[in-house]
Amino acid sequence: MSAAKKRGPAAEILVQNLWWNNPIFIQVLGICSTLAVTNNLTNTAIMTIGVSLSTAFSSMSISAMNKLIPNKVRMIVQVLVISFYVIIIDIVLRAYLPDISRSLGPYVGLIITNCIIMGRAEGFARSNPPLLSFWDGLTSGFGYMAVLMLIAVVRELLGFGSLFGIPVLTALMGEAFTPWTIMIMAPSAFFLVALVIWGAKTMQENMKIAAKAQQGGAK
Amino acid sequence: MKRDGMLYTVLFTFIICIVFVFFLALANELTKDRVAANRRFAERSAILSALGIGYSTPGEVDSLYDAQVSTLKTDAGLLYKVTIDGQPRYAAKVAGPGLWGTIQAIIAVDQQVQRIEGFQILSHNETPGLGGRIDEPWFKAQFKGEKIGPQGIAVRQGSGKGDPDPDNSQVDAVTGASRTSQSIQEIVNKELTIFKTLRDKGGLQ
Repeated sequence: MSAAKKRGPAAEILVQNLWWNNPIFIQVLGICSTLAVTNNLTNTAIMTIGVSLSTAFSSMSISAMNKLIPNKVRMIVQVLVISFYVIIIDIVLRAYLPDISRSLGPYVGLIITNCIIMGRAEGFARSNPPLLSFWDGLTSGFGYMAVLMLIAVVRELLGFGSLFGIPVLTALMGEAFTPWTIMIMAPSAFFLVALVIWGAKTMQENMKIAAKAQQGGAK
Repeated sequence: MKRDGMLYTVLFTFIICIVFVFFLALANELTKDRVAANRRFAERSAILSALGIGYSTPGEVDSLYDAQVSTLKTDAGLLYKVTIDGQPRYAAKVAGPGLWGTIQAIIAVDQQVQRIEGFQILSHNETPGLGGRIDEPWFKAQFKGEKIGPQGIAVRQGSGKGDPDPDNSQVDAVTGASRTSQSIQEIVNKELTIFKTLRDKGGLQ
């Protein structure tokens, strides 16, 4: 990419997954959950941690078993591994964080169908060693987390007037604050995701142009 | 053995399923008691709150529940009973359809079925921030002490901040969640009818 500096593979993966190849605004994967959970920061945080961990561990397991997996049942085994980690997360939430488990409801189980996890398993873990795959899965999750948290801040702040359930706008403005009902509902996430994609793409283009100009100047 | 051969594929799939399912079953078994305890705590604390018994720490819930709440088997199912200042109160677990899924709640009434003593939500799948606001304290508090009319109570459009009058048999609906509010009205009124029938048959003792 545009970054001319040499990076180690781990740092390169981090930069790719957070910015140049972000799962949300470049790969446009995992959009369903972006619409569903981002009206509340607490749910978003737990959900994105869940996605990061299950992507990391499934990528690691699939990479470790890769040589043993028969080609015909490759996808089936991937889904099995992914569901395994997601159900473990669901069980842990139900046992230790019952309130959050209740408010997330069916969304935790739906992590299984998050396209990012399968995308990383197919696209990266199959042809890379386990530890690097773990790192790739984790940072992909972080890329997803960064965008979702950004959207959740806007939606919770304008929709409820609070952040992490703590009143902010309602406390500052009192009765003068009217919650934006649209922010609570799924359509607002569409607009916000589109704005994020627009902003990020524009910034990336500008960075590429600037990097090119710099290279040209150095010659 | 060939990696893409029939036998290997079948064996591999079989073994891998057994291994992963074994660990899932193990995790489930290890947390079973904790999950059951969480569920019991959620239910008991809702029953206590609906019956108007306050608790300050989560640890008190079990002992308060055991000391004060008795169960009563009736034609209309299991009732939870407490006696406060000589006046018995009855609570029942109810369930009914909401907009997206089943809403489970606890409704408590006095012996004459004249006033609602309390209302608590056990579980629901309504839209967070819209229908989900039925689980907010201001909404549930409106029911406490509300007079039960001939038709039960009405959940209707009001200020959206809670109806302060306990004698008009009305509570405010949640703004932007008309259908969830309608569901709550139906669930509550259905149960109030059951309570009234039970009272007339002398079942509330």
